[in-house]
Amino acid sequence: MWGVIKSVLAAFLGVQKDQQRRADFEHGSAAAFIVVGVVMTAVLVGVIAMVAILAAR
Amino acid sequence: MRTLLVWLAGGLSLVGSSQAALASGWNMPVGVTDLSREIYTLHMAIFWICVVIGVIVFGVMFYSLIRYRHSKGAKAANFHENTTVEILWTAVPLLILIGMAVPATATLQKIYDPSDAELDVMITGQQWRWRYEYLGEDVAFNSNMSTPRAQIRGEEERGENYLLEVDEPLVLPINRKVRFLFTSDDVIHAWWVPDFAVKQDTIPGFITENWVNINEPGIYRGQCAELCGVDHGFMPIVVHAMEEDDFDTWLAERQEAAAEEALGVDREWEMDELMERGESVYGSICSSCHQPEGQGSPPAFPALAGNEEMLADIEWHKDTIINGVSGTAMPSFRTTLNPVELAAVITYTRNAWGNDTGDAVQPSEIAERLER
Repeated sequence: MWGVIKSVLAAFLGVQKDQQRRADFEHGSAAAFIVVGVVMTAVLVGVIAMVAILAAR
Repeated sequence: MRTLLVWLAGGLSLVGSSQAALASGWNMPVGVTDLSREIYTLHMAIFWICVVIGVIVFGVMFYSLIRYRHSKGAKAANFHENTTVEILWTAVPLLILIGMAVPATATLQKIYDPSDAELDVMITGQQWRWRYEYLGEDVAFNSNMSTPRAQIRGEEERGENYLLEVDEPLVLPINRKVRFLFTSDDVIHAWWVPDFAVKQDTIPGFITENWVNINEPGIYRGQCAELCGVDHGFMPIVVHAMEEDDFDTWLAERQEAAAEEALGVDREWEMDELMERGESVYGSICSSCHQPEGQGSPPAFPALAGNEEMLADIEWHKDTIINGVSGTAMPSFRTTLNPVELAAVITYTRNAWGNDTGDAVQPSEIAERLER
């Protein structure tokens, strides 16, 4: 699970080790990446919204 | 290494020349409000961040190009990736962007906060003039460019404020927060005064806001900054910023004059008075399209001198000026001109340039018509 989260975070930044990328494609399940990706996108949007709301106070 | 030094030296000489750029008018002005100074500081900070990044990136690039050129026997490295460097060149720009966004957002929040204003001015863009209305103060007027057409045609020498002078400037007090409400009667214009760091689109059907709190008295000039038709270049902005006491006196005088004008609606006007007033209204409002001698500029702007349709039907003439003509360039002057001005300009156009109808239209008649 932690490995999936790390890979999704790397995808957010747009940088990933080639070795890790290959490993993800060989061993990971697509569904896990999609679910974690969607959840983390929602978390990112929430964090940005919260920062904006706090800054606008 | 020497190349890198040359680049750094170039960068430093730019620092020295920035003051020269400001003096030459190449840079944006510092302005005369706290907010304009803040915007200027932000602009310069971001400019120098860009300069430093540019010097470093191009310095490294040119240094590498020259130092490791093929003729010196350099061999290209052949590797696939370097995660550390990739993370660095992604994270560093991200941090720089956040560093720029934080102060920029703080300034934006101030720009978008017109609350607690002591004076509200409605600014309406019209082809091709500005209308200023001091809300709740019963003072409103049009501000037309006053540069003579002869200067534009090159028949006279250009004045000091060529194309940047008006018959009636917007008058504002210093040290008071003034809220502007912007809209337009026809197309999109933009009210731009660089010294206030205010450039706001005026959009028909919408009201947008902005505000100023001017620190120094003076005359500030600006222009329409949105291409709005043939006379876009001929609708300048002049703001006269006064000490607070002077402004209050000016406002009281204008209120008195407005009250007097309102009284003038009910009395009978002589033909000479109407013609004199009409000539002045025609000169500032109508002549840019229908031309100074009423000769027009067909087909868009019909001639008024000898216009048979207009001369034959006075009711049609009144209706055209009050309500405009839909689908043409002729706007409605219902709100732009008061009953006295409307009556005077109708009388003038029916009796000038050989249009000798003898019709004198009374302001009271127009006022009644406007209420219908």
